[in-house]
Amino acid sequence: MNENDKIDPANSAISVSCRVPLLALFGGAALWLVIGLALVMLASLNFHMPGMFSDHGWMTYGRMLAAGNDAILYGFAIPTALGVMLWILASLSDSELALPLVPVLAANVWHLGVLVGIAAIFMGDSTGFQWLEFPRGGSVLLFAAYMLMGISAMATFGARRKRALQPAHWFLLAALFWFPWIYTSANVFLVAWPVRGVGQAVIDWWFSNNLIFVWLTLVGLGTVFYYVPKFAGRPLHNQPLALFGFVTFILISTWCGIPQGAPVPAWFPAASTTASILLIVPVLSLLAVFVKTVCGVQTQCKGGPFCYMKFGTTAFIVSALMLIPLGCPRFGVLAQFTEYAQAQSYMQILGFFSIVICGAVYELMPRVMGMDWPFQKFVRFQHWLFMGGLAILVISLAIGGVEQEMNNYNFTSGVIFMKFATLGFLLLLLGSLLFAANIFVMTLKWKLGLAKAFIAVIKRPLDASEVKS
Amino acid sequence: MNSGCRIFLVSFVALGLSWGGFVIAPAIQLGTQKQTAVLNSSLTYPEQRPGEATMGLQVYRRSGCAACHTTQLQQDGVECEVIVTGMGKTPVAVSNLLSSLNLTGLSKDDAQSASDQITAKGGKTEIHIVPTGGDIARGWGSRRSVSEDFLWDYPVQLGSVRMGPDLADVGSRLGSYSWQLLHLYAPQATTKDSTMPPFRYLFVVQKVGDVPSPDALQLPAEFAPPSGYEVVPTMAAEKLAAYLLSLHANVPLHDAPFTAAAPPEPTKAKK
Amino acid sequence: MMSNDPKEHTPAPAGSPGNGPALPVWIFSLTLVLLFLGGVYFDESSGWFNAQIYKPYTDADQLEAYQPVSGAAAILAQGKHTYDTICAACHGPDGTGKPGQAPPLAGSEWVNDHAHTRLIEIPQLGLNGQVTVKGQSWSLSMAPMGAGLSDSDMAAVLTYVRSSWGNKGDDVSADDVKAVRGTIAGHPAIAGETGLKAIKE
Repeated sequence: MNENDKIDPANSAISVSCRVPLLALFGGAALWLVIGLALVMLASLNFHMPGMFSDHGWMTYGRMLAAGNDAILYGFAIPTALGVMLWILASLSDSELALPLVPVLAANVWHLGVLVGIAAIFMGDSTGFQWLEFPRGGSVLLFAAYMLMGISAMATFGARRKRALQPAHWFLLAALFWFPWIYTSANVFLVAWPVRGVGQAVIDWWFSNNLIFVWLTLVGLGTVFYYVPKFAGRPLHNQPLALFGFVTFILISTWCGIPQGAPVPAWFPAASTTASILLIVPVLSLLAVFVKTVCGVQTQCKGGPFCYMKFGTTAFIVSALMLIPLGCPRFGVLAQFTEYAQAQSYMQILGFFSIVICGAVYELMPRVMGMDWPFQKFVRFQHWLFMGGLAILVISLAIGGVEQEMNNYNFTSGVIFMKFATLGFLLLLLGSLLFAANIFVMTLKWKLGLAKAFIAVIKRPLDASEVKS
Repeated sequence: MNSGCRIFLVSFVALGLSWGGFVIAPAIQLGTQKQTAVLNSSLTYPEQRPGEATMGLQVYRRSGCAACHTTQLQQDGVECEVIVTGMGKTPVAVSNLLSSLNLTGLSKDDAQSASDQITAKGGKTEIHIVPTGGDIARGWGSRRSVSEDFLWDYPVQLGSVRMGPDLADVGSRLGSYSWQLLHLYAPQATTKDSTMPPFRYLFVVQKVGDVPSPDALQLPAEFAPPSGYEVVPTMAAEKLAAYLLSLHANVPLHDAPFTAAAPPEPTKAKK
Repeated sequence: MMSNDPKEHTPAPAGSPGNGPALPVWIFSLTLVLLFLGGVYFDESSGWFNAQIYKPYTDADQLEAYQPVSGAAAILAQGKHTYDTICAACHGPDGTGKPGQAPPLAGSEWVNDHAHTRLIEIPQLGLNGQVTVKGQSWSLSMAPMGAGLSDSDMAAVLTYVRSSWGNKGDDVSADDVKAVRGTIAGHPAIAGETGLKAIKE
C-alpha cells in the first residue's frame, strides 16, 4: 500500500485548511510557467529565424522576452513560493492555516494582476525597467494580493504552538518581509515618483538583485532546510553555522547587482564588487550545512522530491558562483552585457528556484489533498527534462556569452548557442507541461471527488425517521 | 534566533542598509544632479532632446530595443599622448630627442616629463588625454557614459545585453536619418548577417500614388516591395529615428575627460 | 518514489549551552580575510562616494591631473564664442571699437603689452574715466563685463583678443586669471588711465 495514502490524522485539519489556497496558487502558477517558458522559447527563435515575428508589434522580441520572463517570475515563481511558505509555516506552527479564505482571494487577485501586467507588456505599456515591466494596474494588484497573503501567513506564524524557531523560519520570515519593501520602493521610485536620470537604473538593479537573487534564495533555501532534514532522516547539520550563513547572506547579497561598467560613480560598482567577494562566506557556510546534512544518506531519491532538492541546491551554488565573477571588475566588465549574465539569471530562477519549489510541491500536495499524484512517473520525467534542459540552456548561454565578448560582441558566430538555448527552453517547456498536467488532473480529481460526495449525499436513501408518515 | 521579532530586526537592518545605499543614496546623489559644462567651452550639457526625439525614447521603450542594445559605453583606462606642435628654434635637437622618446600610451606623469624634455629643447607640445577600452577600440564612442548623459531621460533605457552594438553615441557615428529607417525596416540590408529582427510593423507598405512619397525608403532589390508599392515610415518609426540620431556621447566632461578632436559645437539632430 | 515517513526531529534550541556544534574556525578566518580584501578593494577603487569619480579614475587628484588642457585652436574657438557673446556688442566683431561706445582693441597698446594683471582687471572690475588708446582720448564707462565668466572663459577671451586682428600679445592662462581674481576681490572699478598705470604686475 502506498504509504502516502495513509494520511497522518494530526495533519488533516492543517491539510484541509490549505487545500483551496494552494490549489488556487499552484494551478495558476503551473499555467504561467508553461506560458512563460513558451514565450521565452519563441523569443529565442528570433536569433536564428529573425523575420518570423516582424509584422506585428506585439510579437517583437523585447515584448515577448519581457512577458515570458515576468510570467515565469511573477506568474510561477512567486505564487508557488507563497504557497509553499504558507504550507511550511502551517506545518511548523502545527496549526491550521489562519484565515484560509484570504489566501484564496489573494491568489486570484495575484493571477489577475499577472494577467493584466502581461497584457500591458504585449500592448507596449511596459515600464521599461527590467523585471519590473508591469505598469501600475498590474503592480497594484500584485502588491494588494501579497499583503493579503502576508496577513494570513503572519497570523499562522503567530498561532504556533512551539515557540522555538526552526532554520526554515528565519529564511521564510525574512522573505515574507523582504518582498513588500523592495516592490514598493521600486514602484515608488521608478514608476510613481521617478527619480531623475541614471538613479533609475541603480534602483532597478537593486530591485532585480534583491528579488531574483536574494528573495528567491531565501524562499528556496528555507524550503530546502525544511525538507532535507526530513528526507535525510537527520537534523540539520550545525545550526549555528546555518544561522551564520543566513545572517551573512542577507547582509551581503543585497549589495550585489550593480554592473561593473555602469554609468554611475565608481563607488556603486565597487560596493557590488566588495559584496561579491564577501558572498563566498555565506555560500560556503550554507553549502557546508547542506552537504554535511545530506552526505552519506542512504535514501535513494529516484527522481523524487529529494532529488529535486539536491539538484536545486547544487544549481544554487552554481548560480552564486556564476554571480561572483560578474562582480569582479575585469571579468564583469566583459561578461555583463553578454548572455552569460542571462545564463546566471536563468540558473537562479529556472535552475535553483523552480526545481526546489517543484520538488516541494510534489512532496506536499499529496499530503494536502489526501491523494496521490495522478501521473507518478511524470515526477521523474520532469526531473530529467528539467535537468537536461537547464544544463543545455545554461551551458550554451554561458559559453555563448564568453564567446560573444571575445568576438567583440559580434553576434553572428554565436547563433549556434542560441539554437541550443532554444532546445534547452523546449525541454524545460515539456517538463513544465508534465507539472501542469499533474496539477490540473489532481485538481480535477479533487473536484470530481467533491462533486461525487455531494451527489452521494443527495442521492443517499432516506432514513425511515426522515420520512413524514 | 528564537523570536519572530529578532528575525524581523535582523532582516530590517540588512535590507535597510542596502536600501539606504542603493535606493536613497542614488535618489539623492544622482537624482539631484544638474546640467554640467562641456570641458573648455561655455556650453552646458546635456541639452534636452528635441520633441520628436523625446517621444522617440518612448517608441524605443515600447519596441523593447533595450532587450538587445545597450546605451552605456565603458572605459577601461585612460592614457596620454604627447603631440608636438612646434619644433622651435632648434628643430634638429628636437627631432633627435623625439626619436628616442615614446609619445603614446603614457601615464600623465610620463607624458608631462616627456613634454618637459621637448619644451626644454625649444619645442612646443600638447598633451592629449585619450580614453582606452574595448568599446572605444570598437569605435562605438570616444569616452565612457556618465550619469549626466541620462539626465533628461525617463525611463532610462540602459539595456543589459549586447546582441547588437552599443547605441550611446550612435547619433555621431551613424547619423543619417535614412540609414536609420532603412536599418529598422530591413537590418540585413544595411548590415550583412545581422541577427536583428526586421521592425516591419513600424512601416507601412502602400500603393504608390500619383507621385511617390518623399518619405519612401530606398530599398535594395531583395527587400523592396512589389512594383507599384512603396514603404513609408509610420510616425513611430520617424520618432525612433529622431531619437537614435539624438544619441550622442562625444563631448568631454569633467568626470569623463578627453581631448576633443575639434572644439565642441552644440549637437544638432540632422534630418 | 516519495520520501520516507518523515520523522519529527526537534533540534536542540539554538544557543543552548554546551549542546551541539559551534561555528567552525575556518569560517572566521575566511570571513576576516575576505573582509580585508574587500576593504582594500573598496578603498582603492571606490573614490569614496565622490559623485565625480567614475572608473577608471580612483581619486579627485588623479581626475584633475587628467583634465585636458585645451589645444590652441580650441581655446581660440572658446574665446571667440565668448567675445562674440559679450564683448562684440561694444568693441565690434573685429575689435575696431566705435566712437562713443568702446575704444578699439585691435592694435591697442593696452592689449599688446606683456602685462597680465592689467588686462585681466579691466573686464573683471570695469573701467571709468579718461584713457588714451592709439593716440585718441576716450572718456567712457565700462561695466565689469567679465566678472561673471569662468576662469577658463576669461582666459580664452583674453587670449583670443591678444591673438586676433593683428594683435601679438602673450596668451593668458586660466591660472593667471584665478590668481589675479583672488587678489582684487571687492575692488572698485579702475579710475581711468591713472588707475591703469597704478596697477602693479
